[in-house]
Amino acid sequence: MDMRDPGSAAVTRGRILIDDVVKIYDPEGAAVMAVDHCSLEIEAGEICMIVGPSGCGKTTLLNAIAGFHEITSGRIEMDGETLCSAEKPKAEPGPDRIVVFQNGALFPWKTNLENVIFGPLMQGKLSRRDAIGKGRAMMADAGVSSVEHNYPGEVSSGMRRRVEIVRALMNDPKALLLDEPYRALDSLTKSVMHEALLEIYYKNKVTIFFITHDLEEAIFLGHKVAIMTTRPCRPKKVLTVDIPHPRDYGVLTSKRFRELIEETNDAVHEEAIKAFQAGEKEG
Amino acid sequence: MQIAQIAAPGDATPVLRETIPFQNASDALLRRVAALGRSRRYATGERIYNAGDSADDIYVVVSGRVEHVFGPGISAQESLKRMDRGGVFGWAGLLLGQTRRFASATALEPSEILCIATEDLVKALESEPLEGSTVMELFATMIQRDFTVPALLAKVRRLSGTPLTEEMSSLNLTLYRVSLWLKSPRPYLMLIGFALFLGAWYLFVEVWKLPRFREMPGITTVVKEWLNPAPTYGLSIYTEEYYKHIAVSIWRVTQAFLLATLLGVPFGLFLGWSRKFKEYVFPVFELLRPIPVLAWVPLAIVMFIATESAVIYLAFLASFFATALNSMLGVESIDESYLRAADCLGANRWQVFRHVIVPGALPFIFTGLQISIGVSWFSLVAAEMVSGQYGLGYVINTSYMMVRYPTIVIGMVTLGVVGYATSAMVRVAGDYMMEWRVRELALAER
Repeated sequence: MDMRDPGSAAVTRGRILIDDVVKIYDPEGAAVMAVDHCSLEIEAGEICMIVGPSGCGKTTLLNAIAGFHEITSGRIEMDGETLCSAEKPKAEPGPDRIVVFQNGALFPWKTNLENVIFGPLMQGKLSRRDAIGKGRAMMADAGVSSVEHNYPGEVSSGMRRRVEIVRALMNDPKALLLDEPYRALDSLTKSVMHEALLEIYYKNKVTIFFITHDLEEAIFLGHKVAIMTTRPCRPKKVLTVDIPHPRDYGVLTSKRFRELIEETNDAVHEEAIKAFQAGEKEG
Repeated sequence: MQIAQIAAPGDATPVLRETIPFQNASDALLRRVAALGRSRRYATGERIYNAGDSADDIYVVVSGRVEHVFGPGISAQESLKRMDRGGVFGWAGLLLGQTRRFASATALEPSEILCIATEDLVKALESEPLEGSTVMELFATMIQRDFTVPALLAKVRRLSGTPLTEEMSSLNLTLYRVSLWLKSPRPYLMLIGFALFLGAWYLFVEVWKLPRFREMPGITTVVKEWLNPAPTYGLSIYTEEYYKHIAVSIWRVTQAFLLATLLGVPFGLFLGWSRKFKEYVFPVFELLRPIPVLAWVPLAIVMFIATESAVIYLAFLASFFATALNSMLGVESIDESYLRAADCLGANRWQVFRHVIVPGALPFIFTGLQISIGVSWFSLVAAEMVSGQYGLGYVINTSYMMVRYPTIVIGMVTLGVVGYATSAMVRVAGDYMMEWRVRELALAER
């Protein structure tokens, strides 16, 4: 792990182990296999990017880690503790693994600040005053303090995503699970958001499990990129990105970045074609 | 690079008084703001900040001259502005969603500048909510007029503590909407619509005496009777009776509506929240719901010895179904990811109910309440026509039996007006409770 920046050596929590996980929807009836004997190790404090075509079953994997869905067999561990296994198929959702959703899930009826302090207040970890203090400090850090008293519906989508990540980090999670969070953003906002995410990450080292279908995004952000096969989903190729962190947008034009893209593009393209053909057959 | 603390705080009040945002501020507020300021000196040509820098401070020119140039991508009409004593710049941090400088600022001659940290200023303004929001509003005006920044961008932040900055307060929003409405063709079309309707009534009944309309009370007869201090049939705006009927009906609807809301909302929320509860209850609910209120009349009279309770019960019944059904649909409309997010953030079942289910269902609940107040009037009048001693439905029914046709129409028109007013009240209450939604919709409309 030498190519990671020295700061990440301090991260000791948030190691996720996915061991031979299988997920079959409707096992008695249609028996659709979404995840097929999938194994993957994510180191503590690592940004692991999961790349695959839409509908390949990568979200199923995220839902299993988050505790929204059961798994059929296999095991998912975090820091040596079993989250779910064949005996206990559904993990307990909790503030140690927080999901940032595809379409954003800030509560529209709460102001941004109220959203940010929601976690610690619900868990009874902080008093309201302390939570507000911490929330304001973290919002200032992420450059969103000017929208504290606005409702999420009033600010730009890029701003909302940042507030949502702050809301997650307020709980000192071991891992952030991001489900294509920048999918709906235009490419300009997206590039700003990538740098913002890295900036936040360098300040609060957590494990990041990031789902995307965008290979460039994956290689730009990740320490590790897992390219998944299309349904059923399984790692086809796991790539270690040897571009040192901290990174900025200059990386996109670097030679190594282009080489990595070329190296993996075929694998991704192949799966996209498979997914497309499967879609055609179903339709 | 340019730290030279020369002016003692307090010296800054006169120059603040010369700025647009603080021109009308009280001395107390000015002193507070002045105390936050630090004085800095800049040499000719020295850059004060660049576009893209973090917008931490707000600056006031004490002496000298400063050039302010907008960066590319800001659609201000005038990109260059020069400022002397009293000029305010570096205000980007006060705008909604802005944390970076839009522009760069350079001293054109040796200048003394007062710097105030944006966040400190906002806190000082928040401590005087009323004055503070006026100052913020003046900032917005200045940014729009003096700096020619488009109104869309020149939206200032909201101060905490005040419910809203003046600009966005719901009263102002309402006034703004009314003025827009008056400028649109809609109110005039509406007046024409009314005129056509009333004109047709007059012509059909009184001028042309068309078949079927011949026996109807004409508009002049009705208006004369309504405004008559000594009404022929005993009911006009001058008789006490008239108001008693209105009051009785309103009181009955209020009771029925409140009862239906108090029972219907929780009932509907639980229906949507607990699958098991729904499985027990919903089939029965769906079987009872389509039964018209009039079909309940005989049973209601048997159930309640007192007619008053029977009438209220009937008005309640229809309301209850509308409210409960919409509350349930409201819960079912909540996006799954809000519930999952709450789970992730460690909320327990009760907290999810309180912080996600209830506010998430609110838009639907208020739709339900709108329907509910309408059907409540509907079933009340039906019930009053069958039994009861007072009320507008009773007026209509007895007038029919006593052949007092103009009074029937008076009762009908009164029902229309009162019904509209109550339903408007429910709408206003909804807007008040769902400020987030009003603001979201207002932005979407723009």
